[in-house]
Amino acid sequence: MSGGVEASAEVAEERGLRERFERDVLPLLPSLYSAALRLTRNPSDAEDLLQEAYLRAYRGFAGFEEGTNLKAWMYRILTNTFINTYRKKQREPVTVGDDDIEEWFLYDRLGAAAVEASAETEVLEAIPDEDVRAALDALPETFRMAVWLADVEGFSYKEIAEIQDVPIGTVMSRLHRGRRALEKALWNSVRERGLVTD
Amino acid sequence: MSPIDCTQVLKEIELYLDGELTGAACGEIKAHLSGCGSCMDRTEFRKRVSELVASKCGCEEVPSELLDRLRARLASVDPGPG
Repeated sequence: MSGGVEASAEVAEERGLRERFERDVLPLLPSLYSAALRLTRNPSDAEDLLQEAYLRAYRGFAGFEEGTNLKAWMYRILTNTFINTYRKKQREPVTVGDDDIEEWFLYDRLGAAAVEASAETEVLEAIPDEDVRAALDALPETFRMAVWLADVEGFSYKEIAEIQDVPIGTVMSRLHRGRRALEKALWNSVRERGLVTD
Repeated sequence: MSPIDCTQVLKEIELYLDGELTGAACGEIKAHLSGCGSCMDRTEFRKRVSELVASKCGCEEVPSELLDRLRARLASVDPGPG
């Protein structure tokens, strides 16, 4: 009977989808978890966000075009899930606090405080891990994610624009201003930890 | 065509480091950096800041049972028609 043939074809297709999801999407978990943690800033919300994003991805997986960028596709789902479920809860500023941070704020200050030419990067290395994470976490979410997607994941501007659903110019501005604000926060850490004497 | 100066180079440095410049634009920056210690130092510095973010914020440890919980949750639903 043709009904039976159709049904078994459907079952086979579903099994194929499941296998492909298992093989290609589940291994992205470590990087998506780090991203979820940066978005929500706490482990319990990060886990909820991931579960929801994975569920949405799974339900929509048949619509994913094989051969296109799966990681970017997943990040887009993660970002949208976050916007729809979490951002409603927490009203955040949509811009970085200081709009006019000097272009070379951190470099110039470290340079002025450092004795040796190579000391700027040595001071950077001495900043505790949690301070670097706190500096990133202090950025408004859209800036934080742009910086994260570029610096940690190495996505191109075009990919970040697709993930965040904004024009490339907005990505460039978020990266530029986000990174300057991050550098300023790193400088505060350097001062507070007494990593330079002035 | 005259070579680009430090101001122009530093204006483009973020694009350069992010791999967004290609061809001649990228070549011009490279040529300038190879002969300009000051711009090279700043470029290296920016690169280190990005590397710092990548190394400290990129590899959080996934809770051990999260993958199992995800699998269990997914097993209860069908992959959708898209």
